[in-house]
Amino acid sequence: MSPSVLICDDSNMARKQVLRSLPEQWKTSAQIASNGAEALTILRDNSIEVLFLDLTMPGIDGIGVLQGIKKLNLDCSVFVISADIQPEMQAKVKALGAKEFIRKPVKPDVLISHLQQHGLL
Amino acid sequence: MSEFHLTEDQQDCLQELINIAMGQASDQLARYLDTFVYLKVPSIESIDAKDLLQTLSQQKNTMAVVSQGFFGYEGIRGEALLSYQEEDSGRIGDLLGYEPDELSQDEQLIDISSILTTTFLNVFARQIDNQMSYNAPKLLPSVQNCLSEHLQEMTFNWDLALKININYQVTDYSFNCNMILLIPETAIINIKKVLDRILAEF
Repeated sequence: MSPSVLICDDSNMARKQVLRSLPEQWKTSAQIASNGAEALTILRDNSIEVLFLDLTMPGIDGIGVLQGIKKLNLDCSVFVISADIQPEMQAKVKALGAKEFIRKPVKPDVLISHLQQHGLL
Repeated sequence: MSEFHLTEDQQDCLQELINIAMGQASDQLARYLDTFVYLKVPSIESIDAKDLLQTLSQQKNTMAVVSQGFFGYEGIRGEALLSYQEEDSGRIGDLLGYEPDELSQDEQLIDISSILTTTFLNVFARQIDNQMSYNAPKLLPSVQNCLSEHLQEMTFNWDLALKININYQVTDYSFNCNMILLIPETAIINIKKVLDRILAEF
């Protein structure tokens, strides 16, 4: 069975890039959020198992979403997909509970291998 | 909407390409300065030549602007302007770890600007299967008058330009650098073609 998936990115193109990198059977049920606030609402009201999260967004950014997930005590595997590749940022998101940091633009084989690594596939 | 304006999809696509370029440029800057660079969402807008001059000369505490022209294949070209605030320019030597007499402040500004501009544009170009060449970076010292002269002297003529604004904020030192990319009219048409090609893949 495919898990419940949320993709959060302010860019439509970036969301599509993530969506088309997902395993075939995950694609149809994936939900979309275009900012951090939207993502937190969906996370609160649905049991999302896997979140693909951008960092640089207007309003509540990816860091804000990670903090929100911690605060709400949600059990969700977060994969950060960002262009902000500074080592300090990568360490920061891991410290906030993200499973992996994946650099943009995301490539299907990289994403799939990370999902396998974390036992999600 | 004129032929020089971007559609919503084109704007979104360009913004994502810029995000990736900006991310790698700030990673370079962070490594170079051994610090962290805080990134904001870049802004993209169309601007009239006369409005641009006004906007730029309104930034009163802007001390120095380093300008560098760039040009790639398929008629993609423009000018990158990096502006620094007065209180920041004195810190650049400290940031870069130079000895007081090693390089003049002007040379330091040109140094750091060139790193940012070329890293950013090389990453941007790679994503659109292009390759950039650069003019030598030029420091415009007394900003107010020089900037307007410089903009008028630029090798391209334009009434309207695409203005892309990216802010690099070095948190440890409260140091700010603003990168403004100006893409003139004819190059906008060419960029739109490239964006449409990328969008067609989705």
